[in-house]
Amino acid sequence: MVKFDRFTLENGLRVIVHEDRSTPLVAMNLLYNVGSRHEGQEMTGLAHLLEHLMFGGSADVPEFDVPLQIAGGENNAFTNNDITDYYITIPANNLETAFWLESDRMTGLNLTQETLDIQKSVVIEEFKQRYLNQPYGDAMLKLRPLAYKVHPYRWPTIGMDISHIESVRLEDVKKFYSSHYSPGNAILSLTGNISPDIARDLSVKWFGPVKGNPAREVAIPTEPEQTEERIIILKRDVPSDALYKAWHICKRDHDDFHALDLVTDILSGGESGRLYTRLVRKKNIFSEINAWITSDLDPGLAILTGKLMKGVDPEAADKAVNEVIDELKNKPVTISEINKVKNRFESSTLLSNTSILNKAMSLSFYELLGDAGRINREVESYREVGQSRITDSARKHLATSNCSTIYYQSTI
Amino acid sequence: MNHLQSNEPQVMPVEPGLIPLPDLYILRNGVPVHIISSDTEDIIRVDFIFKAGQIQEDLPLLSSSVNMMLTEGSARYTSEEMSKKLDYYGAFINLTCEKDLAGLTIYALSRHFRKIMELAREILFCPLFPARELENLIKKRLQWYRINREKVQNLATEMFFESLFGKTHPYGRQADESDFGNITPGLLKDFHLKYYSPGNLTVIISGKISDKIPQVLENCFGDLQAGNVYIEGSVAYLSGSAGKKSGLTKPGAIQSAIRIGSPSISKRHPDYPALKIVNTILGGYFGSRLMKNLREEKGFTYGIHSVLSSLDLSGFTIISTETGSGNTHSAVDEIYREISLLHTKPVEPDELRAVRNYMLGQMIRMFDGPFALAESFRAVWQFGLDNSYYHRFAEKIKTISPDEIIELARTYYKTEALNEIIAGPL
Repeated sequence: MVKFDRFTLENGLRVIVHEDRSTPLVAMNLLYNVGSRHEGQEMTGLAHLLEHLMFGGSADVPEFDVPLQIAGGENNAFTNNDITDYYITIPANNLETAFWLESDRMTGLNLTQETLDIQKSVVIEEFKQRYLNQPYGDAMLKLRPLAYKVHPYRWPTIGMDISHIESVRLEDVKKFYSSHYSPGNAILSLTGNISPDIARDLSVKWFGPVKGNPAREVAIPTEPEQTEERIIILKRDVPSDALYKAWHICKRDHDDFHALDLVTDILSGGESGRLYTRLVRKKNIFSEINAWITSDLDPGLAILTGKLMKGVDPEAADKAVNEVIDELKNKPVTISEINKVKNRFESSTLLSNTSILNKAMSLSFYELLGDAGRINREVESYREVGQSRITDSARKHLATSNCSTIYYQSTI
Repeated sequence: MNHLQSNEPQVMPVEPGLIPLPDLYILRNGVPVHIISSDTEDIIRVDFIFKAGQIQEDLPLLSSSVNMMLTEGSARYTSEEMSKKLDYYGAFINLTCEKDLAGLTIYALSRHFRKIMELAREILFCPLFPARELENLIKKRLQWYRINREKVQNLATEMFFESLFGKTHPYGRQADESDFGNITPGLLKDFHLKYYSPGNLTVIISGKISDKIPQVLENCFGDLQAGNVYIEGSVAYLSGSAGKKSGLTKPGAIQSAIRIGSPSISKRHPDYPALKIVNTILGGYFGSRLMKNLREEKGFTYGIHSVLSSLDLSGFTIISTETGSGNTHSAVDEIYREISLLHTKPVEPDELRAVRNYMLGQMIRMFDGPFALAESFRAVWQFGLDNSYYHRFAEKIKTISPDEIIELARTYYKTEALNEIIAGPL
């Protein structure tokens, strides 16, 4: 049970505090409700580029990292489709340094042409390292625009193309920053060696004076329903073929989410997952295979990826995958198999909650979904999913007409 | 902006404090169990560690294949039954096979602990190494191997270790395609019998450990006979080779992977903690000189890291980065320039203060919670050391002088001793 206090500052910043005296540290997680879905299609990658620039210092703080290091702190950040998240762990006696730095860069960031140019180069190298200079690295770059035709989830967080990152101007970054970085668009979580009273005092002291405009509303287009199967073939210089599939599913905050998460766990959670057992272990069709769903705020995807064993026909492999999925749609799953995936979810939640940083991230994210208290109710929400909801959600979402497939073919 | 925010808070000393010592419980057959108990979530981590890493193998792929086959069928369960049970009880297992050690780490819910330990006994001590499963594993591994050969990072790292420790030593030897056909069930059984014996086992258990837990371990593992302990011959300390430069062409690559480093001292050497500090200044944290220079000032790379790592019979330093092809040579020059600066110019007080406090903060994180404590304990236990290593380390972080840093850099980061590997389009 993760007990927490919750309050909102006058400027709209939501604060969540969970006291855990078993650690000498405090974790501070600051979530901004802005991600790549808030970008325009002509300038993708901006949210992530701004995350890099957030370490550039301000008028009062020449460098973000140095004072934090001096205070014994460690920090990092990530950006995804929906959010940008900054996190720090620091010895409790130096927590105020984290408050000072994090409140300072909420609206006082120093954005210069020089840091922009350097961070553009850094992000372009990141783009190459993660996506272009890796075997199969561009598969996800191609799968998204196959599945989404109008919604901004069609581009990856890093950006649709290197040219988008190259063309970003300083004024674009400044506008994006002032549009989305403000107390009312953020959720601060504090976990670890801190009392709710001190957390409140420090939050008022440091974040209270931060003013910011209300976040700019961005109209995000709704993805039309997919009615026909989509298939493309990519030929690449890789040692073996691969298969990528995506189905449109619900948004994170929807009744079907938990059932669908269990569906993909039945398919590929652990080595006893059906796909691994049948297609890797028994039939030797794939050398590896995985399936999962995305936790997106707008309707997301169920994704399946697999690497084929040498010599296996891609269409035959696809057919074998579809047979496993069809069985899930047509035949009730046994209670014991359902309990297995529920037990795994419970274990992973307990394991995650052994870390104050994970707890801080979860609290912020659940608050964004509407209620930080869900951190304590998710296991129960999974427990409540019965046999029929699993079958129903698989039928509803894993239809062929709702699927996008890439045959990634080896030319070697 | 907000005038309040220019009031920088005063920084308090960063103090790691006392590191709790594990309790030691010895099973009736002599297997040591180190217990790190803490009142946290109802989940327990168990590390089963054997001296069964690559150092023990006569053939490439042997030790890792033995390790990966442990869950592929035992006297009582097929591979499928085994993974079904583990998943049903919500256990997470990681098979590990490193250069020196190998084994298994399990996370188990407290309420299923006994059942999971019974499975662990099957996995560790009763594997059958069925031929069909082995054939599948080898096919899969060959496929993974071919994919990894397409990555400049892997090519450069493999070549780096080969250059340091030689083509024939297990620390340096790399598998090639012809090695995959040599692995047979008989070889696996033989290796397992020798090295996965109770006499070669140490257990570290961490989390919420009730009084009943040692008895469960006693019941599951205490009766195993340690009779056939395999006595190793003495193995010589490995000095490794230095000063070699190699390039490897990977057509079509758009980044080059750079690896620069040399053989070094092991954690048993008295200079090791101080050298860790030198390494951190150079490239061991986000504010390091290499990161500042190559990423934050020049934008050559997404990241660059320097690591000092200890092995049982040696140690090594390695600087790793990937850069766009046009910047590779400039990046290499800058790496050498930063190393030379360490040889000649005393570290300024501001930088040293930041590094000291950052590292002391890291030490607090290394001992935060039972699972972090278990990993930190393992990292010294492996070299016959104990937590006094960390106390020495903390003391050295607080007291190291700029002159000492110059001396250490000159001794352990000799420019002419560095091996340099570049894999990329060239």
